Amino acid sequence: MKKINFLYATLITIAFTSCEKVIEVNTDGNNNSIVIEGNITNTPPPYFIKITNSVPYTQSNLYPPVTNALVLITNNAGVRDTLTYTNNGLYKTNKTIGTPGNTYTLNVTANSVVYTAQSKMPNIVILDSLRSIDTKFRNEVRYSIVPVYTDAVFFGNGYRFIQTINGVQDKSYTVWNDNVNNGLVNQRPIRSRDENVKIKVGDVVNVEMRCIDENVYRYFYTLQELAGGGLGGGVTPTNPPNNISNGALGIFSAHITQQKSIIIK
Amino acid sequence: MNKIFLLAITSLLILQTSAQQKFTISGTIKDKATGESLIGATVRVNSSKPYNLKSNEYGFYSITLPKDKYTIKASFVSYNESDTTLNLDSSITLNIFLDNKSVLKEVIISTKKKNDNLTKAVMGTETLNMRDIAKIPVLFGEKDVLKTIQLLPGIKSAGEGNAGFSVRGGGIDQNLILLDEAPVYNASHLLGFFSTFNSDAIKDATIIKGNAPTQYGGRLASVLDVKMKEGNNKDFNVNGGIGLISSRISVEGPIQNEKSSFIVSGRRTYADMFLKASPDFKDNELYFYDLNAKANYQINKKNRLFISGYFGKDLLAFGSSFGIDWGNQTASLRLNTIVNSKLFLNTSFMHSNYDFGIKIKSGETDFNIRSNIKDWNLKQDYTWYANPKNAIRFGFQAIHHTITPNTFTGTVNNSFPKRGRESLENAIYINNNYKANDKLTIDYGVRFGAFTVLGGDTYKLYNKGLLYDSVVLAKGKVGKTYWNLEPRLTANYRLTEMSSLKFGYARNIQHLHLLSNSTAGSPSDQWIGNSYNIQPELADQLSLGFSRNFNNNNYELNIEGYYKAMQNQVDYKDGADLRSSTDLESQLLFGIGRAYGIEVMFKKKTGKLTGWISYTLSKTERKIDGINNFNWYNVRLDRTHDVSIVATYQLNEKWTLSGLYVYNTGNAVTFPTGKYEIGGQTIFQYANRNANRMPSNHRLDISATVQFKPRKNWSSDLSFGIYNIYGQQNPFTITFRDDPNDPTKTQALQTALFRWVPSISYNFKF
Repeated sequence: MKKINFLYATLITIAFTSCEKVIEVNTDGNNNSIVIEGNITNTPPPYFIKITNSVPYTQSNLYPPVTNALVLITNNAGVRDTLTYTNNGLYKTNKTIGTPGNTYTLNVTANSVVYTAQSKMPNIVILDSLRSIDTKFRNEVRYSIVPVYTDAVFFGNGYRFIQTINGVQDKSYTVWNDNVNNGLVNQRPIRSRDENVKIKVGDVVNVEMRCIDENVYRYFYTLQELAGGGLGGGVTPTNPPNNISNGALGIFSAHITQQKSIIIK
Repeated sequence: MNKIFLLAITSLLILQTSAQQKFTISGTIKDKATGESLIGATVRVNSSKPYNLKSNEYGFYSITLPKDKYTIKASFVSYNESDTTLNLDSSITLNIFLDNKSVLKEVIISTKKKNDNLTKAVMGTETLNMRDIAKIPVLFGEKDVLKTIQLLPGIKSAGEGNAGFSVRGGGIDQNLILLDEAPVYNASHLLGFFSTFNSDAIKDATIIKGNAPTQYGGRLASVLDVKMKEGNNKDFNVNGGIGLISSRISVEGPIQNEKSSFIVSGRRTYADMFLKASPDFKDNELYFYDLNAKANYQINKKNRLFISGYFGKDLLAFGSSFGIDWGNQTASLRLNTIVNSKLFLNTSFMHSNYDFGIKIKSGETDFNIRSNIKDWNLKQDYTWYANPKNAIRFGFQAIHHTITPNTFTGTVNNSFPKRGRESLENAIYINNNYKANDKLTIDYGVRFGAFTVLGGDTYKLYNKGLLYDSVVLAKGKVGKTYWNLEPRLTANYRLTEMSSLKFGYARNIQHLHLLSNSTAGSPSDQWIGNSYNIQPELADQLSLGFSRNFNNNNYELNIEGYYKAMQNQVDYKDGADLRSSTDLESQLLFGIGRAYGIEVMFKKKTGKLTGWISYTLSKTERKIDGINNFNWYNVRLDRTHDVSIVATYQLNEKWTLSGLYVYNTGNAVTFPTGKYEIGGQTIFQYANRNANRMPSNHRLDISATVQFKPRKNWSSDLSFGIYNIYGQQNPFTITFRDDPNDPTKTQALQTALFRWVPSISYNFKF
């Protein structure tokens, strides 16, 4: 859909006179909600749960930390881990170890409201390598990266990719699942939704591949679709559906992480 | 069910019994010079008790009267009236040929007889003749029937410059768009900026806002019935036009003199020529084309055959690596039969097809995503001119749909194969136009429909997106059938010589649903039929109207109010996966809707200055479990106020000036209320859906047309105009992003598209 937006932009520059300006928009509504972000991975602990509050969009990106929450992580192996507050809204695990196949339950009690979330760390799908493909685009050659892995035979695997080009993270979201090509070697390239991301010869591209569960997939898929909200219209904006109860924003994700790098030749 | 139908028939036949001997006058009304049949021409019978009636879609009329001497007058806008006196002592055929006044002395904005709005039992209906829209300014100078109807009350544009439209709060998919009776599934080109209707090939277009007679069915909000020209059956003609964006040419002429004719019309844009001129874009393609063709053949006095086709295609491509294409094809074969002087029959066989595809190719990755909808459609429509008081229309329609959702092929394939789904949509209907007396006219009837799911796929059942059961329906098996009754009634009561009161009720059913998650329509949006989860959409509309004419019918004022309640409305759940979901139905939610409003239209129909002022005050909301916490929310095109002013001034025989002003409240949109951070990136927080407003829009467009002196067999004109002449920055989108000067802050960025867009086009005919 990014391409469709690009087409709009092309049309407009060719035939029309478009014009942009910064305006003031006043909105009211929720802007002081609790935000919980938690990640448990297959890399060695500790892991962190971050608890903050949202702010009105007109303010600076300074998010007030929640410092007095009671944070507990349990897993299906019976481990109960009460987290310790460090700083900036971060709570640190003490005895949780991320193990593929385990289900983790998060309990956060803040201002006498209990928020719970659950995530299952998927089994590992090995990222074998990265390869690059070129696309002729607007009279210049651009490269995209294809993560090479063989999807697990059983259905229901989700993946998220984060690419970093010469040390700068591509801020667009890329997620997909095995609704297509279940059990096969991946063919899909990571297509950045950011028009400013251009991969050229000589660039070093690092790709982090995350194997994620269905709720985490849905969360980042929604963010990926919302990012398409350019001239083509985009998806009706919404808070992405998540796995945390009681209306808390954010996501609790138990996932596999792997990384590879490639130099474009 | 049979009993109900029989009852309906009996109750419809309010026949007069009379001992007096009666005879029928019937025939066809045509243009004398071209042989083109005239739709909606008025026939008036002067006798002690005057009668008047209209020719039908094929120019046919019929009236049965007692033995007497009569004067028959036939008239049509900008044609000279004909006058025939006869002694009716046997049933006769009277074909009438009307003379077109060769030079158009005045621009008339309606083909209607002057006081039609006071006498006919129709509501929310407007007919636009191509001549009506020729001089109205339009973006890029491309005459477009879909953009002109958006200037009528109750009809809103899907976006600036967009051919998509919403009628009385309906979705873009809730309009039944017919081209020579064949449904068109996507009536737009080039991401919505143009419609598929090439004005050179079109005769006229009628829009009915929810109160359609029962021969129409299948969509909730409106019917847009577009008729193609038949072609000149006496002379060969070439019409053409050269514009900034596209060029058009059409050829028409007789196949057999005065018996049969054809017309072929083509249009192609050349945006890609601009692309090719720029080195940046030379490998890219961006164009669309349309081809319309129609022929008719008079088999004998009683039978006339029509064949018409449309073929259109859009292509957008970046070199060989990425391409999108879509297109509609329609074909219709129709046979008019004058069974006898009182019974007119039209049998139609139609085919519609809509394709959409994306092609991606780079390195070893090479795949296509395609979706398709295909219809076969058979219809028989009888009109029985029972007596001067009753004209009864009845018939049936059977449609076979095949809908194939997005399917991957190539190196990327669906993990579970997707199959096309087949279904049958059948209906029988009956309708009576009853002229009770001089004051009261009632049009009433019923449509009885059945939609049947056919086998060949597995149908899953969901409750709020959670699977709980499934039905395996083998190929050849018949699945669930939905039965529906659609009663409709429109009444017109003439209060005084110059005013009338109207009332209407209609139920409409829709079995096919367009799924769109984007805020504006996109050619990639997919259609889906009723299934075990998806129930037919249903709307009940009540309307009340008042019409008053002034100054010898030169001014016309129409006011209509409506309330519409909708059931089984379909929407995507939040975060729905459209492209690769294993079953689209798992991504859907269902709910109700309501729409109400008041529409005012004031027209000046004759004189040097003609035009109209239209105003709409309206509200449209939906309530769906799973969206907006199950509270009512505004639909995106809920615009409170909508004003259009259209004026055309005939300066002299050479020059015509015209202007257009529009004002409307901004769309209902969802702006962020707060923000937070996940993974080091800012994410916006949203509150209620569509609770915010875009700023209001307004603009003025002007154009001028100069008619060159006609030379032998050659006439031409030149039009030029400016769209948005005062350069108003009407917001097309408002997006939120990090402030480039201070990334810790967020700013709202407004993009405006069209300011001072000039246009020029040259049209010729020989």
